[in-house]
Amino acid sequence: MSGGTRQGRLRIALAGNPNAGKTSLFNALTGARHKVGNYPGVTVEKREGSRIREGREYRFIDLPGIYSLTAYSIDEVVTRDCLLDERPDLIIDVLDSTNLERHLYLCLQFQELGIPVVGALNMSDEAKAQGISIDSYELGKILGIPMTATVARTGEGIEELLDLADRAAAGGSDDLHRISYGPEIEPRLAALELAIAADPDFARRFPARWLAVKLLEKDGDALERLGSHRDAAAIAALARESAAWIGTHFGKDAEIVISGQRYGYIHGATRETLRLPGRRAASLTDAIDAVVMHPFLALPIFALTLWGVFSLTFALGAYPTAWLDAFFRWLAASLGPVLPGGALRSHVVDGVIAGVGGVLSFVPLIVLLFFLISVLEDTGYMSRAAFATDRALHAFGLHGQSVFPMMLGFGCSVPAIMAARTLKSPRDRILTIMIIPFMSCGAKLPVHVLLAAAFFPRHAAAAVMAIYAVGVALALGSAWVLRRTALRGEPTPFVMELPPWRRPTLRGLLWHVWENTAMYARKAGTVILAASILVWAVTSYPRHEVAPGEREAMAAAWSQAHPAAGSDDLEAGLSRELAERSMTYSFAGRFGKAIEPLVAPLGFDWRIGVATVTGFAAKEVVVSTLGILYGVGAGKSEGAGLRSELAADPAWTPLVAFCLMLFILLIPPCFAALATMKTELGWSWLGFALAFQLSLGWLVAFAVFSIGTMIGIAA
Amino acid sequence: MLLSELAPGARFRVQGVTIGREVGKRLADMGFNNGVEGEVVRRLFLSGPMQVRILGYNLLLRKSEAAAVEVQAETGQPSP
Repeated sequence: MSGGTRQGRLRIALAGNPNAGKTSLFNALTGARHKVGNYPGVTVEKREGSRIREGREYRFIDLPGIYSLTAYSIDEVVTRDCLLDERPDLIIDVLDSTNLERHLYLCLQFQELGIPVVGALNMSDEAKAQGISIDSYELGKILGIPMTATVARTGEGIEELLDLADRAAAGGSDDLHRISYGPEIEPRLAALELAIAADPDFARRFPARWLAVKLLEKDGDALERLGSHRDAAAIAALARESAAWIGTHFGKDAEIVISGQRYGYIHGATRETLRLPGRRAASLTDAIDAVVMHPFLALPIFALTLWGVFSLTFALGAYPTAWLDAFFRWLAASLGPVLPGGALRSHVVDGVIAGVGGVLSFVPLIVLLFFLISVLEDTGYMSRAAFATDRALHAFGLHGQSVFPMMLGFGCSVPAIMAARTLKSPRDRILTIMIIPFMSCGAKLPVHVLLAAAFFPRHAAAAVMAIYAVGVALALGSAWVLRRTALRGEPTPFVMELPPWRRPTLRGLLWHVWENTAMYARKAGTVILAASILVWAVTSYPRHEVAPGEREAMAAAWSQAHPAAGSDDLEAGLSRELAERSMTYSFAGRFGKAIEPLVAPLGFDWRIGVATVTGFAAKEVVVSTLGILYGVGAGKSEGAGLRSELAADPAWTPLVAFCLMLFILLIPPCFAALATMKTELGWSWLGFALAFQLSLGWLVAFAVFSIGTMIGIAA
Repeated sequence: MLLSELAPGARFRVQGVTIGREVGKRLADMGFNNGVEGEVVRRLFLSGPMQVRILGYNLLLRKSEAAAVEVQAETGQPSP
């Protein structure tokens, strides 16, 4: 064993099932001192922290919550790799005292690794309230795993836990106590152990007993690790033969038999040490679930919850949004006269304040949305939502657990894409991430709101709702298609623990909201600021110089075309024409003209084309770009000015506006989201997603525009 | 009979998981083993997932997974 001298540093892995209160215990153990990173090569979060007690340093690694030490899910692989490769001095296994037998199942697998294990019988207060009594000393003695009761929320039992840790680390691993798998299996395990130990180099790296058990369980990852053994082939053959023998002897697969033996051993150990109440009292959880998970009502309740989250977000968010909007308008109005005229003023007022302000005014909505979703997550509703929606989502090839990342997608794709990590199967993860951008995010909302208000003034809310509905429908449809083409394969099992309802803590809620919102607010300060400067620059340069005499020629031509117009009108008309010329002359104009053939079939002119491209910086930039391209100058209020400008422009019709909303909804998301997709999926899947979303967006907009034109909606 | 055939409220004793590999192993890891007693709490309509109570905790699973668990229906006991 490495490390672990009496006063030396102790490296402790904190492990256990999900819902055991592991994170609370980690916080109680480490206080505020921890850092968050990722495990190498994968996207599983790794949290580390430390504590100093009586001159000794304890370093903790918080491992992902898992149910078993198989290698079927990424969390399990991460846990296994960490324990085998980093060999911590000690494992603290966090167990839920109200659900002891199942939690001990993982605990015993840790013991087999040959690393000293200490058990934290957590949530002991809840167990006591339910009438469950555990003789922790006796249980620890039987299993060879010292145990003590803890309550992570209050920090109760932490000192005792660390005392046990000191003692266990000093004593090393306990080889006397371990599961016995029974007279049929033990001789076969012994033969495998002997063969594995024959290569001393190999046996130093992997605990022989653990590997022997895993080989009998036909564990693919264990077989791979065996590859570096000098007798790998012979041992693999022996393991195969033994597993086959067990299969025939017991009449079921060896891996199932071994699970059964483990539970049998646990049952024996808890017979004298665990006392459950005779009758389980009906709990509040049961009462709530009777309604929320009602066979027929569960799905309508889910829909109602979703609707409630949205209504509440918009109802409450309207106030702070209006304040922020008013603030930025005041800022623009008061800065306007102060700044020197010309290019700089137009840049600061039209570009920076309009762009960044436009985004920041939507921050309250995003904060509220994430707050409400966090409430649903922390209370335990999301498992109920998975139950309610799995049947429907499964029909489209999705998993009930996709519902949470998809809901986050309505706020911002970045945290939503990261939340897809909770999906255990890589195929489900890829599929969910691929369709998350179709869940119309908070940044697309200003675009929808602007266009709906300009072109569907009497049905603006309905038009925006229609876009959301189209997004969800196309997300499900795409999932269905992708599941039958690029992401074909066996459906992932839906076997999920249903945790009891919990009262969320304010600290937990605020932490979630902060994590999810910080990204969005930072984007406003950086990407959108940069983008609005860039958009302003490419639409202003190179400068269009008016040749001598040209202005007079233009004026003459204009007067001829508008014989009734006065001199004021002439000035206005001229400056508009000049602005348009300089716009066409600028980089953005040239670029827009170049891509116009690509977007013309969708009914878009070059300006709209430019706006969709700048939208990759952030979707809100589409609004500020249109503002700049349509020359909504200082003085006018941005929203109303642009709205009437667009509504009056001959290039725009309600059909074009609707097609643009669809196009913005479906084409690839902003750079921030694309970068997240890249880290989560890698380059090739990102390329696939780009191609898929771009072609779907184009085709849908094209189809709607063509059909709309054909049946004469454009008129 | 199979777990998937039980109606809500039915109590059962597990006789074993009939398949191996990932799904079977996962079910066995979660506690579906010989002799374990449990109860079907509810099922969603249209053959949606079911909620089962075993070893003192609640588990959600699809009908297709429940079809991999061989059980014996327990009779005569009212559900607690």
